[in-house]
Amino acid sequence: MKRLGILFMVLAIAAMAMPARAQEGTLDKVKRSGELTIGTRTGSPPFAYVNKNNEWVGFTIDLVDQLIVPALSKEVGKPVKLVKKESTPPTRIPLLSSNAVDLIAGTMTDTPERRQSVDFSLTFFYTGAQLMVKKGSPIKGVNDLAGKRVAAQQGSTNAKILREKYPQAQLREFPDQPAAFQALLQGQVDTYTNDGIQLYGLKAKAPNPNDWDVVGDFYSEEPYGMAMRKGDAKFKAVVDAALKSGFESGKYFQIYDKWFGPKGELPYPLSPQVKAYLMKQIGK
Amino acid sequence: MNYQFKWSVLWSGQSGHWLLQGLVTTLELSALAWLLAVVLGITSGALRTVPLLPLRAAATFYVEFFRNVPLLVWMFFWYFGVPPLLPRPVQDWLFGHGLEFWAGMFALGVYHGARMSEVIRAGIQAIPRTQFEASVATGLTVFQAYRLVILPIALRLIVPPATNESLNLLKNSSVALTISVAELTFQTRQIETYTAKAIEALTAGTLIYLVLCVTIATIMSRVERHFAIPGMIARTSTPA
Repeated sequence: MKRLGILFMVLAIAAMAMPARAQEGTLDKVKRSGELTIGTRTGSPPFAYVNKNNEWVGFTIDLVDQLIVPALSKEVGKPVKLVKKESTPPTRIPLLSSNAVDLIAGTMTDTPERRQSVDFSLTFFYTGAQLMVKKGSPIKGVNDLAGKRVAAQQGSTNAKILREKYPQAQLREFPDQPAAFQALLQGQVDTYTNDGIQLYGLKAKAPNPNDWDVVGDFYSEEPYGMAMRKGDAKFKAVVDAALKSGFESGKYFQIYDKWFGPKGELPYPLSPQVKAYLMKQIGK
Repeated sequence: MNYQFKWSVLWSGQSGHWLLQGLVTTLELSALAWLLAVVLGITSGALRTVPLLPLRAAATFYVEFFRNVPLLVWMFFWYFGVPPLLPRPVQDWLFGHGLEFWAGMFALGVYHGARMSEVIRAGIQAIPRTQFEASVATGLTVFQAYRLVILPIALRLIVPPATNESLNLLKNSSVALTISVAELTFQTRQIETYTAKAIEALTAGTLIYLVLCVTIATIMSRVERHFAIPGMIARTSTPA
């Protein structure tokens, strides 16, 4: 019994000591460990996915690797290594709060609710939700969803908007994109909704891309940001400055071209409106 | 930890409603899957001990095949793998009638049936062989001997491990969220989506599972005592 008491005391002290350690800012953590750990996706081409050669790559990963990591290395005065961990919509905020990762860099939409728990970087991509259907489907947009089975990713902003604004749709939420897409392929659901750019990415990677259409106007606005622990202003300043210099120097647009340009993984020209939106953030 | 707790997310907005919906789905899914598991478990568990090789072999195949593949794979199997084997009109009907729930139910029930089967077999094999021989000697057929003598004793013997298995089934029902069944764990994630408060939502889910499981365990220990055969099974753990 006495030993048990001591054990509890040790645990209690450890629990009290934990917050003190966690108070360490992200910059200090990066400096101490020499690593930046990001939470990212494995099945969201072309933002972050595992490609045919089994490499974990993508547009967002490149932004971190080529803009943020160099800026961080300069800031902490030693080379920083990029470490990638998988995060999904339900796990990403807990991963961040628990210090398991330092930055969420995938396809996370910047929303007011999420801003109460995490801080977001400058927007690095802008898209909106659309629908993916089999060619010839009667579904042409969100107004055709009454009574239809609609797959969505659990924890995504799209699912939330559908539930609130289009309750006639029968929503089926899957934890990840491959399962939701498989359900569309086999007909368990009539359509799959996600951010338009991701649907184009999925279509391009589908066994028969021509069998699928991405339809409808954007029914939501999805500005993608990188998420950080709330209130870590120093780290956020470095991340934002790195993105800003990427926009200013044109490096961002080179990376954009690599993935979305005519010869990229997924040709998707940057529309003038989106470009204006991105540049407006840095006052241009 | 750099995290602001806000427990009120659990009772503000729609959270309570969602948790309740999730709880009902979890209970429906688990109850139906449990019935299936019990029927499959008793049948195959008993068949594994009968003196007829083909029946034993079939039951052994069922048990080893279904318990040795992860439950998650079975979820995908029943949801994605089975429908394409059916005629198109049947598929369409299923897709429109809650396929995910039924697929989840079969996945859970068939998987836990295989595990339950081993529990039942252990119960049957704990009964001395002479008891079976004596019942057959009184003129009962093999089927009657199992139905009237062997199984009633075996089922009493296995209440503790069967309770264990049933609680596992209840908790494993959360795997059905991978095929879009909106059960309890799904709903806790839903609350997280809306409020970005994951720890509070998970705590609520954890407590609900805990209360459910403790309640079932308590009921089962009463059942165990109620049906105990005096003199055969110790009523309590204290020495007589």
